[in-house]
Amino acid sequence: MPEIKVTPLGAGQDVGRSCILVSIGGKNVMLDCGMHMGFNDDRRFPDFSYITQQGRLTEFLDCVIISHFHLDHCGALPYMSEMVGYDGPIYMTHPTKAICPILLEDFRKITVDKKGETNFFTSQMIKDCMKKVVPLNLHQTVQVDDELEIKAYYAGHVLGAAMVQIKVGSESVVYTGDYNMTPDRHLGAAWIDKCRPDILISESTYATTIRDSKRCRERDFLKKVHETVERGGKVLIPVFALGRAQELCILLETFWERMNMKAPIYFSTGLTEKANHYYKLFITWTNQKIRKTFVQRNMFEFKHIKAFDRSYADNPGPMVVFATPGMLHAGQSLQIFKKWAGNEKNMIIMPGYCVQGTIGHKILNGQKKLEMENRQTLEVKLQVEYMSFSAHADAKGIMQLIRMAEPRNMLLVHGEAKKMEFLKDKIEQEFSINCFMPANGETTTVITNPSVPVDISLNLLKREMALGGPLPDPKKPRTMHGTLIMKDNSLRLVSPEQALKELGLNEHQLRFTCRVQLQDSHSDSDTLIRIYTHLKSLLKGYTIQHLPDGTVMVESIVIKVSSSAEEPNTKVLLLSWSYQDEDLGSFLSTLLKKGLPSGLSSI
Amino acid sequence: MGENSSDENEFDDWFIESLKIYNNIHEYQLEHPTRVIEWTSEKTICVAGYSSDKNEILELLLPLKLFADDNQGLCAERDFKVVHGGFSDGSVHCLKHIPGTRCVVTNDGFSSNVQVWDLGGDDCDVIKRTGVLQLKSASSDKGVKIAPGLTGGPCVLHGSRISDIQLTELASGKPFYSLGTDIPDLLSSLQFVSASVFLACACNGDLYVGDTRKPSALQNTPAEGREGVHWCMGVKTDLSSSDPSSCSVARLSSSCQVVVSDLRDLRAPVCQAQLDVQRKTTNDDFMNVTWAPALDNCLAVSGFDGMVQIYNTASWRPELMEFQPLFVHRGHMMSDDQFDTSSAVVTTHVWHPSRPRTVLSAAVDGSVHVWDWVHKATASC
Repeated sequence: MPEIKVTPLGAGQDVGRSCILVSIGGKNVMLDCGMHMGFNDDRRFPDFSYITQQGRLTEFLDCVIISHFHLDHCGALPYMSEMVGYDGPIYMTHPTKAICPILLEDFRKITVDKKGETNFFTSQMIKDCMKKVVPLNLHQTVQVDDELEIKAYYAGHVLGAAMVQIKVGSESVVYTGDYNMTPDRHLGAAWIDKCRPDILISESTYATTIRDSKRCRERDFLKKVHETVERGGKVLIPVFALGRAQELCILLETFWERMNMKAPIYFSTGLTEKANHYYKLFITWTNQKIRKTFVQRNMFEFKHIKAFDRSYADNPGPMVVFATPGMLHAGQSLQIFKKWAGNEKNMIIMPGYCVQGTIGHKILNGQKKLEMENRQTLEVKLQVEYMSFSAHADAKGIMQLIRMAEPRNMLLVHGEAKKMEFLKDKIEQEFSINCFMPANGETTTVITNPSVPVDISLNLLKREMALGGPLPDPKKPRTMHGTLIMKDNSLRLVSPEQALKELGLNEHQLRFTCRVQLQDSHSDSDTLIRIYTHLKSLLKGYTIQHLPDGTVMVESIVIKVSSSAEEPNTKVLLLSWSYQDEDLGSFLSTLLKKGLPSGLSSI
Repeated sequence: MGENSSDENEFDDWFIESLKIYNNIHEYQLEHPTRVIEWTSEKTICVAGYSSDKNEILELLLPLKLFADDNQGLCAERDFKVVHGGFSDGSVHCLKHIPGTRCVVTNDGFSSNVQVWDLGGDDCDVIKRTGVLQLKSASSDKGVKIAPGLTGGPCVLHGSRISDIQLTELASGKPFYSLGTDIPDLLSSLQFVSASVFLACACNGDLYVGDTRKPSALQNTPAEGREGVHWCMGVKTDLSSSDPSSCSVARLSSSCQVVVSDLRDLRAPVCQAQLDVQRKTTNDDFMNVTWAPALDNCLAVSGFDGMVQIYNTASWRPELMEFQPLFVHRGHMMSDDQFDTSSAVVTTHVWHPSRPRTVLSAAVDGSVHVWDWVHKATASC
């Protein structure tokens, strides 16, 4: 049976890195290649031994697809391609291709330079890895080879995030990566057509949550900023160049005047340049509203937001500053943090996840004393706020996506089966499809039922129609006879006669002959008559003839009787039939082997 | 367009105001609206759908951020977690948790069957139906009101009219106690105030006090209401006091009046008030009045429109007068995606059992809000 196999790599219940293997139509595809941020040893990398025990992965994989730039989806890519070894194509969207190497390099610096790790990829490896990347455009079908094709769909979530459809023949799989179904200030909602994939693969992490609204998160942010500024404090918001930074700026800009705020808001220059550059390149990835504003004016010509100069950090009075990098591990945001950390009137708002080893990570864990490079201790007295703005679909969102794509099967990864039975029941009941929840390292095999389209010859169609009866429909298929000719790339159904003609073949006739011995004292012709009478009485409804040429015919089966001069009582019955009458022929030979009943009249 | 921008302005105004008037506010969107919110533990609630067909019952864990208190800043977790879920073949109009168990009972608002459910433990997240109580009740297509017994083995007090109020043991389905009266008035609310004393409020506003130890004793206090007006009740019990009669009863009428009585002397109300409400819906189904468990003289009212109003009864008087609310939650009427605010109606609300000013409310559009309002004046609230 045709089947698709899905294996999420990883072990046990660990959530935190995505790397899924799919085998479809003889092709092997790796979906995402994430790093587990919680481990410091080899457990942070996916276990590729499932693919092969040793050696490079190139011959075992047809392609690798990365959904977006978050490290738990792409963090292990350079390790996989350069340290384990993979030379095939790596597919991702244009924004992901531009942003990935920056994040990977940042991450590499923190891990190697700050934490002194050795078994890690190098800067050169990141560059070599990115050389293998083939960029994707939205809704564009890309032929990986002559059988495997892929297509990217808009996923929302972060800039460049995509959901991917993988197709071989008429079998297909859609992988969602991370996505959201409600648009936010700078990104739209995920969208896919009714592509009806055999399997829809999604994360289960948020599938059992109901998300607090975006406006409540924003309200909390505004409230905290407002309170700090009111008491004369300074607010530091470390951000990555893109995404959340724009969102929060737009939010502050929108409400600053309404709230009668006088404190200045600054955006560090490095951010402005980079962000401008990227937004110009990837304008199609933001939502309609932003696209309009960007076209009308420069992204960062805000009325209330000005460029930052590092001397401003020493200015007295309240202010709000957006600065990079996002995890406080180096650069301007760290410099500002060192100056402001000692004052409890100040606040730092971390809008996202921080990698272990960074100052951001430490203060989010409540650490109040930090050891800096010069052995000096920094006391953390300012208020620390952790706010999560990342856009994820929740229980309602998953149902919406399934409704959109109409998959034949659903597969949820990274969840505990016993904590998701209700969701499984819900999906199965509402959509009448199977819902699979493999554990990490476990393979799910889904039997598919691909339709194979075939052309039918007009003659054959007419012949079938002439037979009458109801017209065939998907619920009531009709059996028919024909010959399937597979030539080049076409599949045609024709009548057997036409097939033979096209192939220049003659139809063979198959005849069987069988000899049965009987003991009978009558003459040959009398024995024949006895046989005729016997069969006539038993086989009612069949055409039985006694022909003048000395044979009995049952349908098209010929029976002759002969004997030798030496043994006149040993009759040899010769039965002969064509292949079409095989069943009847076998039946007759078995019957006649039993002999003739004695009470038969001769004439 | 003019209309859109004025809606946007109204929303923006409320949004800015919300920074000051709430400590915290969380807003969630369920797939289907609920008219029940029932506490099943200090951190979990149950909600359920009320469409005529199949519905879901969900047990939700409140966001960790709400309970983080000292470390609230470091906790980013703002979402509800669906910890258990199940399916009900019919509507859920009433859902009550049986204290001390993992069991809830539901009624569909039409029949006199009470469904019994097991919410499940750690090893399974499916809510399963474990049985049905087929109750003998006087004919009524308004369903059954339920009050879980407060102590002793799991049992429920139920009825559709005053005449068929009965206490039934859950496990066996056997009746322990029947009111044994032939008063046919439809029942609006039912609640225990102690292990054996209970209050029943009829739809016409009459209040009855019963004691399960004395089947035929029944005290009746008519409301000073007009004909045709619908009433419901909210009871504040002081469970720390051993005297069951030290409790306040508020009765809410469909003409937006509240009458407060003290169980110790039901002859005359302690105080009453005409609320500042413009009714937006003619449906009396969602009327709800509750006392704040952790505040004095503080009650919440909802069901007439898309708002939840909080009142301080300390300044109320025995004569009927109009009073302004202490606080109004307008969140359900403020939607940023062009939802028609005039049809927003709050279906139910509950107070957090211990956090003084935390309230949960739900509306017909499926929204569920958790909010912690700021006390401005120095009244006893």
